[in-house]
Amino acid sequence: MKAIARLVFSYFTGTPVLRACTIGGLALMAIDFYFVATQPQSGEKLWIAILGLMFFFVGSSLMPVMFGRLARSHSVGVLPGGRVKLLLSAFVTILLVALPVGVLSPASLIATNSSLAEVMKDPRARDYVVGVAALTFSSAVLFAGWMYLAMWFLTSQRNMAGLFKGLLVVMLVMFAPAREIHEFTVSLSWNLLQIAIIWFVFGAGFLWWPRFKSARARHTGERFAGLAGVLTGRTAGREFDVMLGTANPWLLVAALALPLVLMTRFVHETPSVWVYFLTIFSAVTGAYSGQAVQRSRALWLRGDWSRTALFSLVERSVWRHNAHVLGALALVIVGVGLDAGFPATLLAASVPLLVLGTILSTYLGLMNTRGLGWLEIVVAVSVMLLLMVLAVLIARERLDIVGIVAMELGLAVLAIVLRIAAHRRWKQLDWMMCRPDRALTARGA
Amino acid sequence: MNSASVEASNLSKAFGQKQVLQGMSFGVSPGDVIGVLGKNGAGKTTLLELMLGFTAPTAGAIRVFGHESHRLPGAIKARVGFVPQQDELLDQLTVADQLRVIASFYSHWDSALIERLCGEWGVNVNARIKSMSVGERQKLSILLAFGHKPELLILDEPVASLDPIARRQFLEQLLTISTDGQRAIVFSSHIVSDIERLANRIWILKDGKLDWQGDLDSLKESIVRLHIRGTGAELPQFRIPGVLNVRRDGAFATAVVRDWTSEAQAALEKDAAVQVEVEMLGLEEIFVELHK
Repeated sequence: MKAIARLVFSYFTGTPVLRACTIGGLALMAIDFYFVATQPQSGEKLWIAILGLMFFFVGSSLMPVMFGRLARSHSVGVLPGGRVKLLLSAFVTILLVALPVGVLSPASLIATNSSLAEVMKDPRARDYVVGVAALTFSSAVLFAGWMYLAMWFLTSQRNMAGLFKGLLVVMLVMFAPAREIHEFTVSLSWNLLQIAIIWFVFGAGFLWWPRFKSARARHTGERFAGLAGVLTGRTAGREFDVMLGTANPWLLVAALALPLVLMTRFVHETPSVWVYFLTIFSAVTGAYSGQAVQRSRALWLRGDWSRTALFSLVERSVWRHNAHVLGALALVIVGVGLDAGFPATLLAASVPLLVLGTILSTYLGLMNTRGLGWLEIVVAVSVMLLLMVLAVLIARERLDIVGIVAMELGLAVLAIVLRIAAHRRWKQLDWMMCRPDRALTARGA
Repeated sequence: MNSASVEASNLSKAFGQKQVLQGMSFGVSPGDVIGVLGKNGAGKTTLLELMLGFTAPTAGAIRVFGHESHRLPGAIKARVGFVPQQDELLDQLTVADQLRVIASFYSHWDSALIERLCGEWGVNVNARIKSMSVGERQKLSILLAFGHKPELLILDEPVASLDPIARRQFLEQLLTISTDGQRAIVFSSHIVSDIERLANRIWILKDGKLDWQGDLDSLKESIVRLHIRGTGAELPQFRIPGVLNVRRDGAFATAVVRDWTSEAQAALEKDAAVQVEVEMLGLEEIFVELHK
């Protein structure tokens, strides 16, 4: 119990920033709860709670990272009850993050319509509020669980498989619950059943994984090696691209394909969703270039390249890769648009947006030569916000084409600035400053 | 024509406010097998990566085959091999594919040598890299650095993850490479016995400085333990030049000193009226004494 509590405490307070987020989030939720409990008709102040909840969720973002590291470590195998305690700590964290939603939603419902005392007097109203609380809480547990899973995939597996899994989970989280709510199919028993199944499967898999791994190694050996080779390996081609990880763009296309298929299932004729998510995908495509800096270290000693020449080659290689994916995304928006009858102006504005999304994130990735500092984070978040705003504006019914073109031109100028910054940084590239985490810890020797 | 493989003068490197290396000057020539010793955080990796041009010095200069390491041309890079502390292998590939990829960057890749070493070291060329153990990955990293027969081979703790048999095989291979006198090898390791067996020159890094550089025999002759015996019940007061540490016990004392000479011994025996016995130390003891 002590170990679980300590783990949970560490998830929320592991760094000063996360500690501040956790405390700030709790304070905001307490303030909102005070309003809801003491002031009638104060349901509209729910935004304070939502803000607090976001801070609280961010405050716990160390959980998937710590969980992942510990789960993969050898030490968890020798700690008494290590895997069980780790699993329980994750579950408790999810319950804690979901709890405020379960409390605040019915509280705001009461505050908007009546008062707590009146609801408690009426058994039917009381049962209804309790039911809403349970339903909201269970939905929040499900949602938070999926979000952590996506965060874990995206942060721990910095490869195509992680990207694919993370995107898939994000898509599921975005569309499946929304569809249930829209179609009134959500129920407490269904939520509880989902939670039970998910945690049973995940828990059993997590706890039995070491035994499964050793059994697989004993019995299957090389049986699946050939098949795995066929699925994962296109190793021929330009050696430079192989070293840089840009030899096979079709892997990324494939990673994006399944979420896209899911989108066609749920939101076939909604242009705003298509533009929005394809813009995110275009940015993800470019962000793939973020690994180029670290990988280029192995190339430095292998050819007749100065740092400037290496940048040119890397840039070319990254664009050979990204152009394929961008082309696929452009084909999707045009294909879906023609099929669903989207306005021509929307399509005309969307394709440049996808191109800009890829260009901007490509150079954001390439300029990340010194690790993520405040400047890089601020620029990246600002660029993403601009892209999202533009995506929303493009999908509006009354399209301001002049405004859109002006914004896209502005983003194009920003792309040029980022390219210049990336080029300048590569001229001074210091591979000791941009190592992967595990190497950084060993740098001292 | 410059014959030195590496030359550094007044080399310094800082990361922000943290000074990692300062004022280092050294040279590496063909035939040198240099073992770099230092505690964790002494700056060994930084020093090796400065040689490779991965990072630029904050002050001073370092040249590899006459060229500034930060701006090495391709022809020079083709003469350098490197085994990193953390491997940089591509998990998705097989060993054979990884070897092919790296070989494609060189015009003089010795496939026969690599094939032979794969056999001797038990490296399965059909294995997928992500399924290999840490030791197997390290063997492959070493093979990737050997294939183009570099004139300057830099290895950052290359044997840390190898079992004793693989370590012995690797050291034998390194010895074979070094015997032609045409190549220079610089390697860091915490396994002092390996350095003692292989290196003909030792660099000891301490507090960001090159505390010692020279051949192993000179080091062993220079840093010694003295057993001092007085004639009376108590030892008289005396001063030992270059003393690192001293322990007195009645009529006896032991002291570890550096830069010890027979002249210094004669002077001490005469001035303090004591008998001095000199004990030679192993490299590990020397390293420990230097860091006390």
